[in-house]
Amino acid sequence: MSDAELVYGSSFTVDSMKVIAESVGIGSLGDDAAKELADDVTYRLKVIVQDAMKFMHHSKRQKLSITDIDHALKVKNIEPQYGFIQPDSLPFRFASGGGRELHFVEEKEIDLSEILSAPPPKIPLDVSLRAHWLSVDGVQPTVPENPPPLSKESQKLESVDPITKLSKPATKDAVGKPVCGKAARLKASESVHVKQLATHELSVEQQLYYKEITEACVGSDEGRRAEALQSLACDPGLHEMLPRMCTFISEGVKVNVVQNNLALLIYLMRMVKAILDNQSLYLEKYLHELIPSVSTCIVSRQLCVRPEVDNHWALRDFAARLMAQICKTFNTSTNNLQTRVTRLFAKALQCPSQTNNESGPSMVASMKESEKTPLASLYGAVQGLAELGPEVIKVFILPRVRWLGERVEGALSGIGGADRLAAGNLKHQLLKVLAPVVRQLRQPPDLPEDYKREYGYLGPSLQQMVSKQRASPAGGSGSGGAVAVVACTPPLLPSPSAAPPAPAAQPAPAKTIESVASRNMVITASPTPQSPAPSTPPPQKFVIVASQQKPQQTQPASGAGHIVVHSSQPAIVRSQNVQSVVVTSGPAGAQPPQKVVVVGVHPSHQALPAASSAGVSQVTMSLAVSSSLKRLRYIIHSRRCFL
Amino acid sequence: MGDKSTPLLAVLQLLRKYDLKGTEEILRKEANLGDAEYENLDLPEVELASILTAHHTESDPYSYEFAYESLKKFVENSLDIYKYELSTFLYPVFVHMYLILILYDHNEHASKFLEKFGPEQEDYYQDDLKRLAMVENKEQIKGNELAEIYNSNKFQVQLSRDASTQLKRYLHEQKSSPVIINIINNHIQIDIHDGPGRTQAQVKATIGGLLGEASRNDNRAKVYYGLLKEPDIQVLPPPVEDEEEAEETPDKPKKKKAKKDNIFMKKPKSDPNAPPNDRIPLPELKETDKIEKGKALREASKRVQLGPDSLPSICFYTLLNSGQTAICADICDDSTLLAVGFNNSSIKVWTLTTNRLRGMKSAEKLQDIDREAGDVLVRMMEEKDRDTCRTLFGHSGPVYKVAFDPFKTMLLSCSEDSTIRLWSLQCWTCLVVYRGHVWPVWDVRWSPYGHYFASGGHDRTARLWATDHHQPLRIFAGHHSDVDCIQFHPNSNYIATGSSDRTVRVWDCLTGSQVRIMTGHKSTPFTLAFSTCGRWLASGAGNGETIVWDISTGLPTATLPPMHVAPVHALAFSRDGTILCSGSLDSTIKLWDFSLITDESTTEEAGANNITQKEEKFLLRSFATKNSPIKNLHFTRRNLLLAVGSYEGSS
Repeated sequence: MSDAELVYGSSFTVDSMKVIAESVGIGSLGDDAAKELADDVTYRLKVIVQDAMKFMHHSKRQKLSITDIDHALKVKNIEPQYGFIQPDSLPFRFASGGGRELHFVEEKEIDLSEILSAPPPKIPLDVSLRAHWLSVDGVQPTVPENPPPLSKESQKLESVDPITKLSKPATKDAVGKPVCGKAARLKASESVHVKQLATHELSVEQQLYYKEITEACVGSDEGRRAEALQSLACDPGLHEMLPRMCTFISEGVKVNVVQNNLALLIYLMRMVKAILDNQSLYLEKYLHELIPSVSTCIVSRQLCVRPEVDNHWALRDFAARLMAQICKTFNTSTNNLQTRVTRLFAKALQCPSQTNNESGPSMVASMKESEKTPLASLYGAVQGLAELGPEVIKVFILPRVRWLGERVEGALSGIGGADRLAAGNLKHQLLKVLAPVVRQLRQPPDLPEDYKREYGYLGPSLQQMVSKQRASPAGGSGSGGAVAVVACTPPLLPSPSAAPPAPAAQPAPAKTIESVASRNMVITASPTPQSPAPSTPPPQKFVIVASQQKPQQTQPASGAGHIVVHSSQPAIVRSQNVQSVVVTSGPAGAQPPQKVVVVGVHPSHQALPAASSAGVSQVTMSLAVSSSLKRLRYIIHSRRCFL
Repeated sequence: MGDKSTPLLAVLQLLRKYDLKGTEEILRKEANLGDAEYENLDLPEVELASILTAHHTESDPYSYEFAYESLKKFVENSLDIYKYELSTFLYPVFVHMYLILILYDHNEHASKFLEKFGPEQEDYYQDDLKRLAMVENKEQIKGNELAEIYNSNKFQVQLSRDASTQLKRYLHEQKSSPVIINIINNHIQIDIHDGPGRTQAQVKATIGGLLGEASRNDNRAKVYYGLLKEPDIQVLPPPVEDEEEAEETPDKPKKKKAKKDNIFMKKPKSDPNAPPNDRIPLPELKETDKIEKGKALREASKRVQLGPDSLPSICFYTLLNSGQTAICADICDDSTLLAVGFNNSSIKVWTLTTNRLRGMKSAEKLQDIDREAGDVLVRMMEEKDRDTCRTLFGHSGPVYKVAFDPFKTMLLSCSEDSTIRLWSLQCWTCLVVYRGHVWPVWDVRWSPYGHYFASGGHDRTARLWATDHHQPLRIFAGHHSDVDCIQFHPNSNYIATGSSDRTVRVWDCLTGSQVRIMTGHKSTPFTLAFSTCGRWLASGAGNGETIVWDISTGLPTATLPPMHVAPVHALAFSRDGTILCSGSLDSTIKLWDFSLITDESTTEEAGANNITQKEEKFLLRSFATKNSPIKNLHFTRRNLLLAVGSYEGSS
């Protein structure tokens, strides 16, 4: 078949004519006859399809349907083909094999008795009419009935390349906004401002909307909140307010974690949920604000005023589900989101003995019971990992169950009421999460001794749970969610040989460093000889945390400066500290310089534009997560200092 | 008929065709042909050609390719001022060469010829070429719609005098190969105009018809495009609500009166272009119609002035759960009713206000009503039987168009079942079935004064009807393909039709003759709209382009850039004629600055068909809907834009 024939349509082959002839019982159709037939049938079919096009056009459709063919036949005084109906479109299946390619329509065998016995199908909904404003005085209102003013693609384009927004100030096509105000002025002043950045002005209505929504979301009126969340989840025109919303959430979480305001934290997480549910938003740009907030709500040491009474566990569960949703939606091979989130949680579950190689045995020895990762955080981390699927549970929770069991045992036998409650919850959660996985892993003879040997304190309970599940067949394999298996390198063993050529390719080293940093931070009281040791005693406890890891670098800010919790200053200082840790305490003496750069990028985001964009976003993300955790602890510590 | 004499008969027929009586006589004598055979001389064109093939000197298939290439070279090498006009020659020559090749059984050569030169023809001819490429042997030419159109009609080409001289000189040089000369003689009509050759843009603006451009002579007739003088209508005392307003603000009535006066002042001015009011008989207004007209005028006085700075608000009516079943929609003039025609032959009428749709009382009950009572119209309606939506059944095929009459008492619909039906909106039944069209009826429209309506269909005719006649008053024949859309001129004296032959024609209702033929569309026009002043006609086509025509000259005023990516199926002018708005299957509504379009054409009167390059600025705004292709657009009397579309689900 030549090119031109493709251009001007194809035709039936002699072979297909013969096949059709055979199917109606004519065995020996001559080649000439088949050729004649093929030509004629091709011609006739083409004429019919051409005529059917007219009917399609007049039915104001762009897709040819079977009824069009019927009408075209009718016009030609040919009996229409009765009995063919087409529900929507005809999906052609494709099959190949033996060097032949075939397109066919799948026709299933239908069991008539089944149809007869089945209840009659529902009557389709009647046509109804609905009115809405497509435009009010030339401006398209952003109501759910209208399409989003800016499609996800253009939002993405804008975030990647903000210049595009400037180049077409009069976006007649995309947004129904009048050309006035700033855009018009920009246009009038004829590209004098070369470096003009994209404007982020909100109209008065948008400001009002923002105010209303945020007030309703954290207010006391549940009805209004439901409406506000509904609006957040459905309204198509929110993209301009999205940066503000995300900042609102992340700042809100920061403040309310300190104040232990559980209710507000829950409201904020519900906002996150609503924003995640909104189909018209391009959220990738704001994950660095959302993920730290959500992870804070999962693993924070304390989320409510009275941990022994309040149900902060529900918040942790909810936030963990959110995190899983984020991972599922936004994970790509470039941002490695799920891997990093998994690492974050895995770090919290770290058995202290594993940190020995970095922080030295003396520190572990001097660590007090109270300085260990709190049980609530452990619970959050377990929950966060559990939501990511059974494979993650297998790799990250199961190996640490012995150590976790020890913690639980210790707390249950201890005196603190809150601790005991937390330990009980943690135990329950661990059993619930682990049982299906263990059931899959182990073969039926479940002996309590084996379990005890392998899983420590939790072994016997786990054994009971597993055997109970085995007894009930419906127990299933727990959460069957097929979450991708995450990279399983032990997160705390930095490979000295790894000298990544591109930071984007291997985020692992950077991660390791973070974990070192955050790990160390828990160890507050350990005295270090090299510390510059500011003189004031109360912040000292805190300053040690910071300065312990930076022996050579002179502290840029005074100790008092670190205690300002809400300013972004501490985070930056912190990360510089982290950077210094890399230089000094990394196991490999000659760390590749990239690592340092990579780690340093995040806090001064705008200061280091040289790094490749992929690298930046990635590192930003990981550091944002870790810095939030750090800040969280920071906050907690500072609170303690003040108490 | 003996085998021997058949070629002779063919020659005789040929001689008769060219009116060579002397030779004919001699041949008859020499061949000794009987009178009976001679009288029955009526061989079909195709057979004639095949008989003569044996004696044909042009049957060398290679000469065609050679001749076409040489013609192409001539066109390319000619001066720029002739080039674009001459290039319009290439396509008809190409088509007829292909058909002749097929006619003389050189099927292989024909398809090679098509492969070689087909792709270099203009984009807008490619669809036609695809249809033509279906014809692959002699038998298929007979009965093929397109091939017959080409064979039985002459392709129109416009040339300036100089260009035609060039062409003649070229043809003289090519004496050895008479192929092209023959084609031009037989199948191409050259329309020579004085003056300089046209530019590329000028040529491009009018080219594209199935059979080339309209000749200038077609558009000579005068068209009375002005509006009729409105009969004086006593503006009724404003209803109660207005009075209340008036009481509140004593200044208001004066202002209102001034405004009304303005409207009245404009109308009575005798328009030199307007036809006399009695040129075609118009129905007399009934009392109720006068009330309706009065209402319309009062509403019009509250109209919003639109312009580029004050764009209309759009209220969008979405048909939910309709899938692809809804085909057409119409909103009545006072914007209270919406009718939708469906694929499944039914019509649904919705009320857009809080007034429910009422049926009429039964015959027995009607007898009891005092017919002299003032409120007889209200009394005869059923009290209890009220609904927001009513369904009309009767057609037996998809309903392609529904139309409310100007006084919203009746509804017209046309369908695939080749009938037009008239429905009563009082008793909700079918009143008349108009049969006349042979094949599906694509479009039907009311006259703006009621009583008359026009329809167009697959049988290539447009027809003018009156509601009280079951047969058409006029049949307008002339289109070479389906009449896809039809529209009444605001003064009711003319009808515009758009057809699949890519022409828009204007017909005179009084004489039934064609007064304008306008070419320039590159695709089938699917919708037409006259401007409120009556001078301009807008047509939207299948490729998303919209062209504004000047009825006074028959030339395109502006080709709106094809911003739509799917067929335009709805056009509407705002009531003050400043905004043109177009709705398309690509689910967008676009607003165009119509006053700017007309201003430009009047300032550039000298080169009336000079298309400005700054077309972009005509577009004011574009509004996208959520996957709801636009079925209809309607401006209310106060200039609010109503749009109807059916939601087709998230894609």
